[in-house]
Amino acid sequence: MRILLAEDDPMLGDGLRAGLRQLGFQVDWVRDGVAAERELGTGDYAAAVLDIGLPQKDGLEVLQALRQRRIVTPVLILTARDAVPDRILGLDLGADDYVVKPVDLHELGARLRSLVRRAHGQVQDVLHCGAVVLDPSARQVRLEGESVALSTREFDLLHVLMLNAGRVMSREQLEQQLYSWGYEVESNAIEVHIHHLRRKLFPDVIQTVRGIGYTVPRTQDSP
Amino acid sequence: MKLMRPRSLQARLLVMTMGLVVVIWVGVAFVTWVSARHELDELLDGHLAQAAALLVVQQIEAEDADEVADAPSLHKYAPRVAFQVFHGGHLVMRSANAGTAPMTAKGLGFATEWFHDGREWRVFSTRGAQQDIRVYVGEQTASRREILRAVLLSMLLPVMFALPLLALMLWWAVRQGLDPLRHLSMVLGQRRPQALEPVALDKMPSEMRPMVSALNGLLERIESMVKAERRFTADAAHELRTPIAAIRAQAQVALGAGSDAAQRDHALQYTLAGCDRATRLVEQLLTLARLEAEPATPAPSAVPVNLSGVARRVAADLAPAAMARRQSIELEADAPCLVAGDDVLIGVMVRNLVDNAIRYSPDGARVLLVVTTEAGHPVLRVEDSGPGMTDQEIAHLGERFYRVMGNDQTGSGLGWSIVRRLADALGVEIQVTRSGPLGGLAVEVRWPAQ
Repeated sequence: MRILLAEDDPMLGDGLRAGLRQLGFQVDWVRDGVAAERELGTGDYAAAVLDIGLPQKDGLEVLQALRQRRIVTPVLILTARDAVPDRILGLDLGADDYVVKPVDLHELGARLRSLVRRAHGQVQDVLHCGAVVLDPSARQVRLEGESVALSTREFDLLHVLMLNAGRVMSREQLEQQLYSWGYEVESNAIEVHIHHLRRKLFPDVIQTVRGIGYTVPRTQDSP
Repeated sequence: MKLMRPRSLQARLLVMTMGLVVVIWVGVAFVTWVSARHELDELLDGHLAQAAALLVVQQIEAEDADEVADAPSLHKYAPRVAFQVFHGGHLVMRSANAGTAPMTAKGLGFATEWFHDGREWRVFSTRGAQQDIRVYVGEQTASRREILRAVLLSMLLPVMFALPLLALMLWWAVRQGLDPLRHLSMVLGQRRPQALEPVALDKMPSEMRPMVSALNGLLERIESMVKAERRFTADAAHELRTPIAAIRAQAQVALGAGSDAAQRDHALQYTLAGCDRATRLVEQLLTLARLEAEPATPAPSAVPVNLSGVARRVAADLAPAAMARRQSIELEADAPCLVAGDDVLIGVMVRNLVDNAIRYSPDGARVLLVVTTEAGHPVLRVEDSGPGMTDQEIAHLGERFYRVMGNDQTGSGLGWSIVRRLADALGVEIQVTRSGPLGGLAVEVRWPAQ
């Protein structure tokens, strides 16, 4: 899951990036409001962690500008301001969650997963697709009750596809969602991961839509 | 003798009013007594003279009487008056209570004598036209005193009864008059400690207005102080949240690093750095809190402070921090430069300025400390070759927690608040400009001319 972290404090930003990466998120870190708005404008992020006191452009202004541009990426505000009016203002401006520093990394991860899940219309944390069950918090995939060992990339790819179940995702969209900057993206990486997933699970788990991309069918038991 | 002053306003007013009433009454009584005695003396003396004149006339008509006649006593007051008539040196007539010797040896007119009966008498003597008749008329002065006493008593007795009544009424009136005071103390007494709004003035008696206005002024000052204090606490708590959040995040990263030793080491290094940063922030907050608790202008120490010495000490203290970032720190302070003020406070201020210069200048920058005297003003200047500041940024300096955006330093902006506060306390001027020789920021501290 690709997350944008907008935090101007070098030490906190470094810690959050490292911590969220440990939890399996792909994290891009920007240090000012203008960069945050530019990056979020691409729509490639599953969610954003936004500090309010950002240089150049206040976090709340960034949020307001995004929502005016109808960019609905879930935004979690992470701030030192804990007064109730501040929280209300943040949520009214379009924030999806409001967390006061300091925050537990695991809680932050859980909140981000929950934001992403709800943004995709999923109520349950655990995703179902036929006999495949994906548990994002445990980072575990089971096929008919049996645990299946997947690499980080394979898991993330399946996660994105299952979150967008019933929708066709292009290779570019999948690449954008999965890889954070600085990673070398090989031209056929997506195809390789899909091939491995089909081999480890079952061939029809991911369907190819020729010339467009890939999709995971929406099943009855996924609400 | 030390007078006991009653502590209660009511008792004081009552005692003073009653005291004045008594003094005035006594005064009036004294004046009445003096004038009544005078009038009485004139009246009775007149009667004595009249009686003497009558006796003289009578003697002229009855010249041939040889015997000494004793006049009958006709009134209960008769023993108190007496007379003698001498004819040619012989006593011819007298009242029963008069002796045989002339009542007075003094000449004609009025005299006051002590008689053999042990009483004081007022005597008038006169003589007839033919020199041989001599008449003495006397009256006991005690009767005059009795009349006077009666007059005074009739005046003072009602007052004796009236005084307690008057005291009671005055007590009530004073109590009524002091009612607004009691009301005010009740209103203030029932206030919660947080209630600092001013007391309404419109219904106050004019005498109480200055006091209540002063009280309102005090309340206002307390309120602004409490607000500043509250804001400071809130700001400080917020400012501490970020370093604590960083420490927490880094510690969790270290815990979750697993077999990645490099990541764990990095996270632990950052955890320690975060602790140092939080410590520095707390120190700055404490410095600021201490400064704000002190009066605006602390008494300068009697010993003048050598500014060059302070600058040298600070530069030596901070040189390791500068060298760690390959910055050069130079001091230009040739002559001793004496200024008034507290050397500890001056040291804290210079330290903050140099610390800011080091912190906000890039690696390899130059920091220059100059101590000099310009037109009689001792001047300390801290210059650096850093990025400097825009006019807008300079205008924001010294706002608590204001930080120049876009730098990697983990400052809190508190250093400037401390410098500003110290400048106020020390009575010095601070000017921020662009450094001529180094191109970065120049901060100039200017003392008043010596």
